[in-house]
Amino acid sequence: MATIRIPTPLRKYTQGKEEVQIAGATVQAVIEALEHSHPGIRERILDEHGKVRRFVNVFVGDEDIRFLENLQTPVAERDEISIIPAIAGG
Amino acid sequence: MSAGPGGHYLVLGAGGLGCPALLGLVSAGAAAITIVDHDVVDASNLQRQVLYTTADVGMAKVDAAKVRLRSRDPRLHVRALRLRLDATNLAPLLAEQPPGTIVLECSDAPDLKFMVNDTCLAGQLPLVVGGVQRWRGQVQAVQRGHACLRCMFEGPPPTELQEPCSLVGVMGAAAGLLGFWMAQLAVALHAGEPVAGTLWAIDTRTLLPQQMRPRPRPDCPACGAARST
Ligand SMILES: [Zn+2]
Repeated sequence: MATIRIPTPLRKYTQGKEEVQIAGATVQAVIEALEHSHPGIRERILDEHGKVRRFVNVFVGDEDIRFLENLQTPVAERDEISIIPAIAGG
Repeated sequence: MSAGPGGHYLVLGAGGLGCPALLGLVSAGAAAITIVDHDVVDASNLQRQVLYTTADVGMAKVDAAKVRLRSRDPRLHVRALRLRLDATNLAPLLAEQPPGTIVLECSDAPDLKFMVNDTCLAGQLPLVVGGVQRWRGQVQAVQRGHACLRCMFEGPPPTELQEPCSLVGVMGAAAGLLGFWMAQLAVALHAGEPVAGTLWAIDTRTLLPQQMRPRPRPDCPACGAARST
């Protein structure tokens, strides 16, 4: 299963957990499975058209999925997926 | 780090990130600093705005900061600009900076961070942009030819999804860590170190940094506009 690193503002959907293990063949499948086990989290990552929100970045390992196959990027068994929203405070 | 002392730094915002960033720049041997902020010192955020004391409450932050920094280094040139930055005055302010100036974006305004990113790229001013909220933060050095803030995040979160610091708060030590980190990156840019294009994100409760180094986004409007100037 892949490991998803959950950023602080989304941990209210994961009972405070920093990491969640989820199986899925693509980033899309992983996000759908994540929504199934943690309802409400999907709409914080994807917009109403199902695209990754503008101010959110999704990485598989060190690679931004925009430079891979976006939501269709394949996910391997031991991949780490990071969700990184912009932090704009000061 | 081979960074020699000297350099001129333009610090936008003298609050939670700006205070530690300014202290970091002074301790690194900055020669001159211009500080821009419109606000006055408020008792409610002294805990993270570590340059100020209760005696400064009500004073313009830029004036209080100038006094405090000059008391640490009497040779330091400090220019205090009490100014609320907006789309009209930002570009002229950046244009009047001496060559070699490094900009530090330390404000708490999401839209301003992206505006500063775009304007610095267009004006070829190296920039360090930071953000902090609750226990977590991000820092990134921005320089033409490398992924910028808008390559990384296309724009600020929409207003309804923004969590203002005044509501969710900022842990003082997180602001301190991120502010000094920004100063370190600014000094590295001044020394010509290849730090631009990397985003560091950290949650101070785990202290495990994430380091992301994406390629510049081909359709990034900020990088595109910068290339055509
Ligand atoms: Zn860009």
